[in-house]
Amino acid sequence: MLKQIYRSLCIASVFFLLSHTFAFSQSRLVTGKITDETGEALPGVNVIKKGTTVGTSSDVNGTFSIEADNDDILVVSFIGYAPREIAVLNQTSLAITLKEDVSTLQEVVVIGYGSVKKTDVTSSISSVSEKDIKNLPVAGIDQALQGKVAGVTITSNGGQPGGGISINVRGITSVNGNQPLYVVDGVILNGSRSSIAQDQLGGMAGQNVQSPLAAINPNDIESIDVLKDASAQAIYGARGANGVVLIKTKSGKAGEPKITYDVYYGIQQLRKKLSLMDLKQYAGYQNSLVPEIRAAGNSLDTLAEFKNPAVLGRGTDWQDEIFQQGSIQNHQLSFSGGKDKTTYYTSFNYYKNEGIVIGSNFERFNIKLGIDQQVKPWLKTGVNLNVSKSNQKITLTDGSDAVISLAVYNSPAAPVRGLDGQFASVSNIGGSNFGNPNNPVALATMRNVRAIQYKAFGSLYTDINFLKSFTFRNEVNYDFNLGQNSAFQPLVQNTTTGATILSPSKLVEDRTTALFWALKNYLTFDRTFGKHYVNVVAGHESTLSNFDQITTSRQNLTNNLQSINAGSATNQTISGGKYLTAYESYFARALYSFNSRYSISGSIRRDGSSSFGPSKKWGVFSAVSAGWTLSEEEFIKNISVINHLKLRAGIGSVGNSNTANQNNAYVTNVSLVAISPFGNGAQNFNVGNPNLQWESVVTKNLGIDATVLNGIIDFSVDVYQKVSTKMLVQAKLPVYSGLNSGNTYNPVQPPVTNAGKMTNTGIDISLTTNNISKGSLTWKTNFIFTHYKNVLNDNGGVPQPAYREYGNAIQVTNSPSGQAVGSFYGLKTDGLFRTQGELDAFGSANSNNQLAVGPQGIYLGDIRFKDINGDGVINSLDLTNIGSPIPKFTYGMTNTVSFKSFDLSILITGSYGAKILNYTKRLTEGLYNSYLNQSTDVLNRYTAENPNATIPRYNQWNDNNRRLSDRYVESGSYLRIQNVSLGYNIPRALLNKTKFTSARVYVSAQNLKTFTKYSGYDPEIGAYNNNVFNMNIDDGHYPNPRTFTIGGNFVF
Amino acid sequence: MKYIYIVSLLLFLVVTSCDESFLERPSQNNPTEENYYNTAAEVNGATGLLYNKVWYDYQDKAFHAIGEALGGNMLTANDPNYGGLVYNKFTFTSSDVLVASSWASLYSVVGASSSLIQTLENKKAKVSDPAYLIQGIAEARFMRGVAFFFLARAFGDVPIVDDPVAFASSGVFDSPRYLQADVLRYVLEDLQYAEANLANEASQKGRVTNLSASGMMAKVYLYMGDYANAKIKAGLVIDSKKYSLYPDYNEMFTSSKANNNVESLFAWQWIAAGGYSIGNPIQAYCGTQALLKPTTGAGWGSVIPTIDLIESYDPLDKRKGWSIMQQGFFRKDWTNINFPNGYTYDTTSIGGDEAFKTKNGSRANAMKYVVGPGSNGENVNGTSTDICTYILRYADIELIYAEATLGNDGSTSDGAALNAINDVRTRAGLPDLTLITKDDILTERRHEFAFEGDYWFDIQRQGFEKAKEIISNQERGSYDFNGKLQSEKVTLSSPDQMFLPIPQTDLTASPMLREPAVPYYK
Repeated sequence: MLKQIYRSLCIASVFFLLSHTFAFSQSRLVTGKITDETGEALPGVNVIKKGTTVGTSSDVNGTFSIEADNDDILVVSFIGYAPREIAVLNQTSLAITLKEDVSTLQEVVVIGYGSVKKTDVTSSISSVSEKDIKNLPVAGIDQALQGKVAGVTITSNGGQPGGGISINVRGITSVNGNQPLYVVDGVILNGSRSSIAQDQLGGMAGQNVQSPLAAINPNDIESIDVLKDASAQAIYGARGANGVVLIKTKSGKAGEPKITYDVYYGIQQLRKKLSLMDLKQYAGYQNSLVPEIRAAGNSLDTLAEFKNPAVLGRGTDWQDEIFQQGSIQNHQLSFSGGKDKTTYYTSFNYYKNEGIVIGSNFERFNIKLGIDQQVKPWLKTGVNLNVSKSNQKITLTDGSDAVISLAVYNSPAAPVRGLDGQFASVSNIGGSNFGNPNNPVALATMRNVRAIQYKAFGSLYTDINFLKSFTFRNEVNYDFNLGQNSAFQPLVQNTTTGATILSPSKLVEDRTTALFWALKNYLTFDRTFGKHYVNVVAGHESTLSNFDQITTSRQNLTNNLQSINAGSATNQTISGGKYLTAYESYFARALYSFNSRYSISGSIRRDGSSSFGPSKKWGVFSAVSAGWTLSEEEFIKNISVINHLKLRAGIGSVGNSNTANQNNAYVTNVSLVAISPFGNGAQNFNVGNPNLQWESVVTKNLGIDATVLNGIIDFSVDVYQKVSTKMLVQAKLPVYSGLNSGNTYNPVQPPVTNAGKMTNTGIDISLTTNNISKGSLTWKTNFIFTHYKNVLNDNGGVPQPAYREYGNAIQVTNSPSGQAVGSFYGLKTDGLFRTQGELDAFGSANSNNQLAVGPQGIYLGDIRFKDINGDGVINSLDLTNIGSPIPKFTYGMTNTVSFKSFDLSILITGSYGAKILNYTKRLTEGLYNSYLNQSTDVLNRYTAENPNATIPRYNQWNDNNRRLSDRYVESGSYLRIQNVSLGYNIPRALLNKTKFTSARVYVSAQNLKTFTKYSGYDPEIGAYNNNVFNMNIDDGHYPNPRTFTIGGNFVF
Repeated sequence: MKYIYIVSLLLFLVVTSCDESFLERPSQNNPTEENYYNTAAEVNGATGLLYNKVWYDYQDKAFHAIGEALGGNMLTANDPNYGGLVYNKFTFTSSDVLVASSWASLYSVVGASSSLIQTLENKKAKVSDPAYLIQGIAEARFMRGVAFFFLARAFGDVPIVDDPVAFASSGVFDSPRYLQADVLRYVLEDLQYAEANLANEASQKGRVTNLSASGMMAKVYLYMGDYANAKIKAGLVIDSKKYSLYPDYNEMFTSSKANNNVESLFAWQWIAAGGYSIGNPIQAYCGTQALLKPTTGAGWGSVIPTIDLIESYDPLDKRKGWSIMQQGFFRKDWTNINFPNGYTYDTTSIGGDEAFKTKNGSRANAMKYVVGPGSNGENVNGTSTDICTYILRYADIELIYAEATLGNDGSTSDGAALNAINDVRTRAGLPDLTLITKDDILTERRHEFAFEGDYWFDIQRQGFEKAKEIISNQERGSYDFNGKLQSEKVTLSSPDQMFLPIPQTDLTASPMLREPAVPYYK
């Protein structure tokens, strides 16, 4: 039905267009001069004929000339000034004065399939402009938004160059992925990028989900709008559940051609080293263990070499060995301009980041080209092309046998290399082995794990204007990605000792082709009738994603050549995958506003997805919102302190069809297995669920925007409630069901079901104050505040646990119904056993605990745990929620000061109330193996001589003290001076002698200082591989670097 | 004219975007239940995997930690992979690694088998001749039966879910535990179906036959104490004359050439080329770094024979030298960069020479399922090898027969029983027995099946008091670097220690598991 209506609509619109006759009249030359309120000439002001891209810009003297006729209206705009529309009429010379813009109300906000004046916005949208994110030394746009957008929690997943970022728009929407939808110039970007998990080379997988936006050049961005509530997102119905980030890139402006060169170079450092023992301290520590270990009935002798620690050197500082000074550089060259009916923008970008952990780096090349052509007064077309290559080298992090973890507990007695310069394995001193056989320096530098991505995306469009108020737009979007991932490990042997350092030689090559295209046709009606303004959009969109992958591996590479051909055909592997996903959508939105006072907007979208079975393909999503600009009412107009006051309210629903890792979850798929006993094998991959349907998210939003005191204070507050239901979750069945995806080798995946309910309620505050604006001094403060409360009301029946270590053994989080998702799960500590009486009481009460009281069992100095369920026994029933990784609030504050030619900006970001599971501490304060290095804190551990210590005794006999407990949960609150940037604009007087139109040089520091009680490297952890059940777990995490940069912006 | 082009283009785009089948995207990546399992070959491919990866997590480490370390035959490393020393010391808890991975692996066999059984049952009505489906169902039921047998041995009373689809769609993810005796009865039902429907001759070497089912039933009856039936089923296998002892005991465990030999009634099938989860990983855990690491990158020797086991062998027993590497052991066909002329096992380390020497707590390494670094043509892929894991071999049938004949008597001199046990002893180079006692059989089983994951269950089925006595007499200590014995004795304190606890995650998920077990058969 809808299809037919739509089809006839499209056809009808074309006939309208044909029957319309176009009138042309003669143009003549119009000149003008543009000044500010003080009469100073304004150069570089854009002057465009309304409804076209024909235009020019003013010269150094503020003058311009343009071909125009009497009917034309000239739009005069300049950043920081209120734009004006001037009717040409019969004038030939115009004197135009621009007023400084005190409010942001005239700004245009990009919304889905169109844009709207800020005054007419009825939903919750946050906007960030180019100048807010300019010059930040980050690879991706996602990271640049940190601390700038209220309601959006952005956490870097670590300092890995080009690495992942966790972005939560208004809390945690779903248990299966929370990355928002990114739409760049109308193109929906594929939301994932990952490198090869390093367990393919042996050991643990490590963090391998990388930022999908690292391939996109942040320097080309003009503005970013984040759609936060359902009434804004609903137009993206099917895909908008996690929020929508609309990115508009730069385009050419009519006027003088401009050449811009932006450059920065910087160095990166480790912010903080852990206080670990050096060789002297370590030798002393080992000596001190001798009596303790002997007292428990085991043997350990003081090593002759360690007898006098004072004569020893510092030994190997493994932190110094794996951390280095990183570097970062960025070059951006762009050309833009426009003449007559053509505008263009083209840029070239090069970005390179050498990480602070050895062996990690990221490099990217980007080219962008955009051309817009006014073919006819009623017809405009354009193309937009972005091409990039990114090349990321990943060091294994986040795992107990990954580089950072290996380094923190590796003994200072073990050398990196032997006397012959070759990598050392374990080192024997006096009959005892020191050092990890996996040399972390060898692991980081000899492995070569890369993610290379070639990406081309953009669009072609045609806009047809007819009957004055109608625009028909046809747009083709494309996003083509070629991924070239590889993981290589050479065979490394120490030829002197015969020790094997890395083995076997192995190469894994992975090629992916991800092609995506979308076709959109939509009609916009935009008209003002007196006091009435109407904007209606209706259209159709179809998208198709095509994903194709092939992975192959070989071992025993001749001469360690990194080539599949050099490998042995024995044990080679090959596998692939091929998936198609299609969406089809019909959408409509209407906005009506009366007298700029009352506005109402409604949208509806019907989406079909190929991910669901025949009867469940379609979902309908709708939203309605309204705004009331109180300041236009008579009773407010007279209150002089209030310049602008508006109330907004909205409700709407959006959906999600992303079934995580199952493509056709509605049927039972059969996996074919090439390597299997008795020839080709097959197995049921999953249990199909034909009733699978759309996940739904309903948001209610209430907002207020106000500008008071003549624009000195501008604020916006939104409160919301967001309820996710029918979440697409792979049922986490108990293991004994035989269907459980938590276990690696389980062949049959449980069904994906619509289950559970999650609620996020929160408040977003954004406040801008123009503190000083006197002559050449301005000072502006922008403050954002984000709070949300997450409750997993119903987890779908079974808690969703997450694990660490091999064999999925140690449960670290649990998500039962009624709690926040991803809470840490363990025992609560109750101090240490300090008296025999306490031990005896424990002994009689714990007959089932199986740990007897005694030096090799539970003893003085061991941790005592709380009996949570009161049954007198400490066991798994006493495991409980021991902290949430979700912050109580996050905030950001930007202060911008400009004085004469100087500008200074200081960005402070912070997070309060989140907890971190310091899993690394299980190594550095584990006190379970005398050959491992430890934190210097353990020098103050419990001993008979130090009975008041808070750190438990050395215990190699059982893992009581290492059991997951609140001992490892720490406050993750921090306040960080995220960025300080000082710039100097070279005065025009000086520039006049050069070819520059403007030039600015600056120095900046990123992550300058962090105030935190957290004892690990960095309190900003993010989610392990973007999994919401694995948030804030510091398991040898790659710390965020401190960066100092120097740079310049030059315009010719 | 231009308008006409534009209009045509627009019309074209509008029409193409509204194609009716646009959202129909059946999987291009794989077949689905609807269009698969239509031939015997397709069903065989599916049952084939039930001999393989579903068992992997049990085989990987639990096999030794539970089957051998608890029984006092092996020591595990003090290493998080083994949960520290908990299996040596009987201090395992519900949150231990291998408790969880045993449970998960064994139930994944159940889940995969049940899912396949259901799929094939549904398919029956749609084909003219369901014989190939019945063969598939019988093989899957065999596997499920064996998995529940392992579960009942390791955990005692356990839940039974045999309709995973119904369970998943019920929305109530909870279940009681069922009495161990009922679980074993359930096992017998599966095996009976397998015995009745499996072919007499395997279609491919290594697949189970009706006699594999009979033999497995003999073992289940033995554990149930139903000696009469155990004897009948074991006798059935012996009388068939289809199986016999393989002459080269050592080769059976160190070469994949002996895979699925005349002695093997049921073995897990591994393929090195499949790597992790498809190949047999045991040599990486048992073999030494000096032998394996230069070639494979692995070789940890993380489970080693106990001093107690090493010292328990009769001096005449050749199985000691066939099962254990000790000082001076030499294999010419095992070569690597550090041992170009053959591998010598050397425990005289003075430190710094780990690439050549191995000096562990018992100065010995287990050899079963160690095939070497691939220098002799064995397929080795990292930690993975091709060698099959024997789950039921003819020697077991013979010893079951002897034990079942003995039954609850103090001793027996039954001729057939003596023939059976003496057949096993002869291969080992031991003199014939003329009288058999329970202890004779237990000792024989200890040495015949050392490192094969069974010994703890042999002790366990003797009951708590006997198990306590056996365990407390074992030396579970090790030698320090200077050769001094650090003695370690373990005393069982509670019958609870006879079974592994239900893993914590399932206890949290399903509170009914904490309740006392209930009967499955009402």
